[in-house]
Amino acid sequence: MAEAKQLVTDLFKSYGIIIPAHRMQLFDRFLLEEHNLAILHQLRKNQEQLMANWKIEDRIAEIVQQPIRIPNATVGKPYTAPFDFEQYGWNDLIAFRIEGLEALGLAYSAENNQLTGVPTQSGDLKFLVYFKVEGQPEEAPFHQKDIPLIINPDPKGLWKNLESDKNDPYWKEDEVTLFSPLGDRHLLVSSKRGRSHANVGSFREDDFAYKELPNGWNVVVVSDGAGSAKLSRKGSALACAGVVNYFLDPASVESMIEFDNLLQQHASQTGDDTQKNLNRFVYNNLGKAAFQVHKQLESFAKAQEVTLKDLSSTLIFTLFKKYDVGYALLSFGVGDCPIAVLSKDVTEVTLMNWIDVGEFGGGTRFITMPEIFQNEKFATRFGFKLIDDFSYLIMMSDGIYDPKFVVEANLPNIAKWQEFLADLQGQNEDKATVELSTTNPDIEAQLSRWMDFWSSGNHDDRTLAIVF
Amino acid sequence: MAEFIKNLSTPETMRRLPVYLLLDTSGSMTGEPIEAVKNGVQVMISSLRQNPQAIETAFISIITFDSEAKQVVPLTDLASFQMVDIKATGTTSLGEALKLVSTCIDNEVTKTTAEQKGDWKPLVFIMTDGIPTDDWQIGLEEFRKRKTAFTVACAAGSAADSALLKQITENVVSLDTADSQSIAKFFTWVSASIGVSSTKVEDGGQEVTGIGELPPPPAELNIVT
Repeated sequence: MAEAKQLVTDLFKSYGIIIPAHRMQLFDRFLLEEHNLAILHQLRKNQEQLMANWKIEDRIAEIVQQPIRIPNATVGKPYTAPFDFEQYGWNDLIAFRIEGLEALGLAYSAENNQLTGVPTQSGDLKFLVYFKVEGQPEEAPFHQKDIPLIINPDPKGLWKNLESDKNDPYWKEDEVTLFSPLGDRHLLVSSKRGRSHANVGSFREDDFAYKELPNGWNVVVVSDGAGSAKLSRKGSALACAGVVNYFLDPASVESMIEFDNLLQQHASQTGDDTQKNLNRFVYNNLGKAAFQVHKQLESFAKAQEVTLKDLSSTLIFTLFKKYDVGYALLSFGVGDCPIAVLSKDVTEVTLMNWIDVGEFGGGTRFITMPEIFQNEKFATRFGFKLIDDFSYLIMMSDGIYDPKFVVEANLPNIAKWQEFLADLQGQNEDKATVELSTTNPDIEAQLSRWMDFWSSGNHDDRTLAIVF
Repeated sequence: MAEFIKNLSTPETMRRLPVYLLLDTSGSMTGEPIEAVKNGVQVMISSLRQNPQAIETAFISIITFDSEAKQVVPLTDLASFQMVDIKATGTTSLGEALKLVSTCIDNEVTKTTAEQKGDWKPLVFIMTDGIPTDDWQIGLEEFRKRKTAFTVACAAGSAADSALLKQITENVVSLDTADSQSIAKFFTWVSASIGVSSTKVEDGGQEVTGIGELPPPPAELNIVT
């Protein structure tokens, strides 16, 4: 009774009707009249219904606005993410259906509380949850909640493959892969334009050259034109050709003959300081070659009215010759391209050079830098090794070195080279296999395919030369 | 989320390009400006996701500053990135934000050693519409000790002090008004700048070192000299 009285008093008050004290008795009687009691009862019921309805509305709004964060997906990549009603506090849903997942390539599993599938389209997308909450009548319409889902494009599909301009005076082929006898061994080499260059239709900046020289010598050259230098594609081509031409020159052919005597003395230990003499020989002859290349680049730059810096390129080259006592290997290197010789049974690696790496990226050195010839470290850029035999002589640009060896510290590790060879022979994601056999007729195509390996963040030009 | 990031990139060979966005969320940003900032970040991320080099290299972190500075999104790869809701309230603790970004760089950016390739030097973008209310010089002292590829500060609207920002970095741009159109243009330019930087590191192994190497800003952005 007291409750009913309060209710009516408040109601009347909100309409400006105040019951004065002298009407209180009448008011009490009024409240007890049967038809008024019935109205009161209905009034209470309506109030309760109204409150219940509001609670439902409020809950629906709460669910609709509740932020649901689902991990981003990627096109083509198998996707699994929790989608758990309990976790979202949706225990009061009495009915639901999910729409729009199929179009994205996904499905919802109620048993596992998961979204799974392989996304088929990219973008800032959404799917819809239609739901009814507890308290709603069965015939009530479903409410809609949008769930945002970001699907990234397949990174591989974002790369364009635009042709380079064939009319450019310094144009070069986007890819050269070849297999050729070289002295008593064979050379397998490939140089490929990187995705970063293909994406904008620019040129391959790496280059290579090789030659069988007079008197049993062979030379392999690799050069990597700097990405930031506008004519480095020409710089690397000139550097490679320059080395070969130097060693074909009759004067240097003549001068290389002396090496035979020095090596003879060294092998039979007949002379004094034979090691020193050999080192001096390598320093003089290969140093001259390197300096001549530098000079050629300088005069080319002058003639074309460009700067020497525009031709910035790294340079590595290796000369090898078979003697009765074994193979003599001579090398020079500037930049971040390694030269490695693997022992016959692939249990040992000999590095012919150290590589120029800066504290941060881009700290390398180029053959175009005059300061390298004056630097005290110049003498350490040369390598000489006399070994019984070798399985592989491997030279590469940083486009291969970066993804496959990552850091300098891995280069002296034979396990890394064994892994690298296994990778070449098919132990990789794409199962790209290069059968390193001189009788393999598909060897060029196999290497070319292998060179396309995917490595996030590594899309530079790639050059790999293997003598075996 | 952490697991997700690992799946997407191969940390042992990947050099990340860290990008820190320091966003003013003080009370004066209420309404149009804060909505424009949220939208700007959203559009920026979507467009960077279409850039094959950026999606592989760029990692983004959001630091907001009002009465305090908070890292609302830790350094996250573009593919996993999700923008969080930000609200405008309180004062302008720019100094706290500079201190916080310094700590984040220490904790999140990997240094190069003989055994591992470190990250690229971080890019830092600061956007503010007012004058710092805290002792910002103490924060700046900390920030100066960290190596960044470059820092760009944006003075949004007339209440911001370009001369003060010039003490933080030489790269200062200003917006005449902090309206949604100008703010959108700023983020479009930030997006292009991140794109250029990621291409540069991936392609040439070189870092961008100053505003001169970035794409020219649109007309709405005045370069403060």
